[in-house]
Parts: sequence; structure tokens; C-alpha cells
Amino acid sequence: MGLSKTPAIVLKSRKWGDADRIVTFFTLKHGKVRGVARGARRMKSRFGSALEPFVHCDLDLFEKQGDSLYRISQASIRQSFYTLRDSLETITGAARLANLAGAVTADGDAVPRVFHALLEGFRAIGQSEDAATTAALYELEILRFAGYLPHLERCNSCQSTATDRWFFSPRAGGTLCGPCARHEPVRCALISPASLAFFRQALRMDPALLPRLKATAPVREELRDAIELYVDYVAGRSLPKSGVLFAAERRSTYRRTPSPVASGNANRV
Amino acid sequence: MDHKGILAALVGELTKLPGIGRKTAQRLAFHILKQPDEDATRLADAIRAVKERLGLCRQCRNIAEGDLCGICQDPKRDQTRVVVVEEVPTLHAIEATGGYKGLYHVLAGALSPLDGVGPADIKAQDLVDRVAGSAVEEVIVATSPTIEGEATAIYLSRLIAPLGIRISRIALGVPVGMDLEYADEVTLLKSLDGRREIA
Repeated sequence: MGLSKTPAIVLKSRKWGDADRIVTFFTLKHGKVRGVARGARRMKSRFGSALEPFVHCDLDLFEKQGDSLYRISQASIRQSFYTLRDSLETITGAARLANLAGAVTADGDAVPRVFHALLEGFRAIGQSEDAATTAALYELEILRFAGYLPHLERCNSCQSTATDRWFFSPRAGGTLCGPCARHEPVRCALISPASLAFFRQALRMDPALLPRLKATAPVREELRDAIELYVDYVAGRSLPKSGVLFAAERRSTYRRTPSPVASGNANRV
Repeated sequence: MDHKGILAALVGELTKLPGIGRKTAQRLAFHILKQPDEDATRLADAIRAVKERLGLCRQCRNIAEGDLCGICQDPKRDQTRVVVVEEVPTLHAIEATGGYKGLYHVLAGALSPLDGVGPADIKAQDLVDRVAGSAVEEVIVATSPTIEGEATAIYLSRLIAPLGIRISRIALGVPVGMDLEYADEVTLLKSLDGRREIA
């Protein structure tokens, strides 16, 4: 490939050696790639904050033959999404999207619609009053464009459309009726009729309108729980949860305000 | 073990060090082999002393020879301020400036929602337990201006503020000696946010 220029979103950045960073990007032209940025941790590095997670930048990559890592020769910021760093809720929401985009796409596989869903997700989380739910809705968008759209219209096993209780099965990639869910080998999440209606509406809507969706607290909890279950199944590993930064805070006797992220309530069938 | 095995064992141990590959490890092993006996012995003694005599300070988790580090034992230090850092090298960098005379607290990490590092993985609760009901009046968060450092700073502010203790964040902005025209937009925005009056 030699030298290549592409718009990119920083998914992850980790320290390497004395002053370098290894950065994982989701690029528009080449999908997920990893590159080494020499001297990126030095005070006067030319990269500045362009290699921080969630930054949308223009990237100059250089491919060295026989090396799986690209050399990052330049990165200039298009949109920093710096306000995402203003609260733990927005940081964890954006981190969920970045981790998901990295987990459901293969190295070097360009998926422009996932790229744009990630960008839209960051923008929506930055403006949302409920970052965790907004993040969950955009996780659905990324799953949709990565080829994992959940099917919620009927039982994905017996095709029944009527049941007393609906469950979300990550293995089936959608809803299961109560009797079929009992035979599922993996954990399923119980979905109330209100949550299922909200879930279906979210999948039918124009992605640009997703931030307008409002739901009650129990619906938000059920939705997040089902999506986190599905994301882990699709990714093949457990990704950090939306409550990762709040676990100890809930236990703390010094807590002032209730945590905005509720614990999951999935029932094991 | 023959001479090849002895040398290979040394190379193997050196390779475990950060930033040392097999070639560098071999070069270092041959250098040690060629060194005078007393130099190699001093190196071995220094490594042994670090492992046998040094540990972590019970109070702040700085490196200490004994229960408490020199900073925590020093009665002349300002007991009303605590600077919170992610790792020990940052503590030594601040100490090297000579401009801060208070205490420290090492978190031994930073929160990372990208890697699943949560509050239970760092020494945040130790800090709360330490400063609650103590003479500490201000906690200064000196975590890196990375996503991990920012998340840690916000988290600490939520824990510490209800205790009635002032919590502040180190200033973020352009480094001394830099031309402003080369600063990126985030750095410039942060430096404008953190501006101060000069008259």
C-alpha cells in the first residue's frame, strides 16, 4: 500500500516502549488497522491529541513490507469529540461503541456504514441526556451494518408470533417465545411487551432520529441488558459493560447521586 | 548446565525486561560476561537489594524502604495537600520540580472503560479512606490528560467532593517553549478554558 491517506476514528491507544503509542483506528478506506506512532507520548509530539480515543482525524499511514503495524506519519483532527470526556456516562457510552466497532469488523475490512454509524453515535452521545441508552441504540446501528441485525418480529425458532413471555436470545439473534427459550443453551434476556415495542421501533427508525426516542427506566434497563448480551455473543468475548465505571461507586458510602446506569435484570431461563 | 546453558539463561532473563529483544539481550549478556567481576557483582547486588529492601509505602504506595516512604515520614511536608498520580514515575517527576511540598497518593493505574478497568482495580477507595477525617484540605488530581486520566479524575471528584474536601485538577494546555501555531485544537481549547488573570 505504501503511503495512504484516509479519514479515521481512533478506537484505542496504548503505550508502547518509552514514548510511542500503538493506536487502533477504524478507517474509512481500510477498515480496522493498527499503527505505531513514534514519539506520540512526548510533550511536544507532532500528533498532539489527535491519537486520543474517539478522535475523528485525517490519517497518513505508511505500510512497511513484512510489518503488520503501519507507521503513522501524520494525523490531523477533523472533530475531536472532546466533550465526550466531560462525564463518565459519555466516556463509557463512546467506549462501548468503539469497542463494538473493533470487535465486529475484521482487520483491513472497510465498512463505510459502520464508520459513519460510529461517528453519528459519538455525536448523539455528546448531545444526549441519557448517554447509556443512546449508546445502546447506536450499538444496534453498528450491529445492523456489520450484518447482525436482530430479528424481533416472531420467535426465531418456531416462528410463533404469540406467546405469554418474550425473550431475547443472543444465539438466535432475536426473540424467542417462552417455550423455545427454555431450551436455549445460552443465557437469554426477558423482554417485556413495552421493551419489545421500543426495540422494534428503534430498529425501524431513521438512525438520525434515534436520539429522540424516550423510554422509561425499566425499558432502558431491559434494552441495554439485551443489547449487551447480544454484543458479547457477536464479539465472541465479554466487552467492558456500560456500568464498568460505576460498580464501586454504587457501593461507596460517600455517593451523592444515584448511578444513572442500572444493573441488568436478565433472567436465566 | 554447560556454558551455553548458563549464557542462554541470562539472555532469557534479560529478554523478559521491557523493551529488550533477543538481540539486545544477547549484547547485554556478552557485555556482562566481559565486565570486571566487581561490576557484574555490583549489578547483581543492586537488583537483589531492590527486591529485598524496597516495597510500597503503606500510606501512599510510593516506593519505600520500610513501612512508610520518606515523603510520608517527613514532618515538614504540607499535610493538608495530596497530589494523586497514576504511577510512581509521575510522583518522582513532580518531586524533581522541587516546587511541591505536600503529600502524594499513587493509584497504581487509571480507569479505562475501553479495557474494562474499573474502580475496584485502582487504589481510589484507599484514597477516600485516607483523606476522610484527616487534616487533608485539598486533593490535586495529577492524572494524565488521556481518556483514562480524565475518567479517573471525574470519578475521584465524585468520591471526594461529598467529603467537603477541595478537589482540583492540574492545568491542561500548551507546553512551555512551544509555538502556539503548532498546538492542536484540543490543547488550545483547554488552555483557553484554563486561562488565568495576570493583572
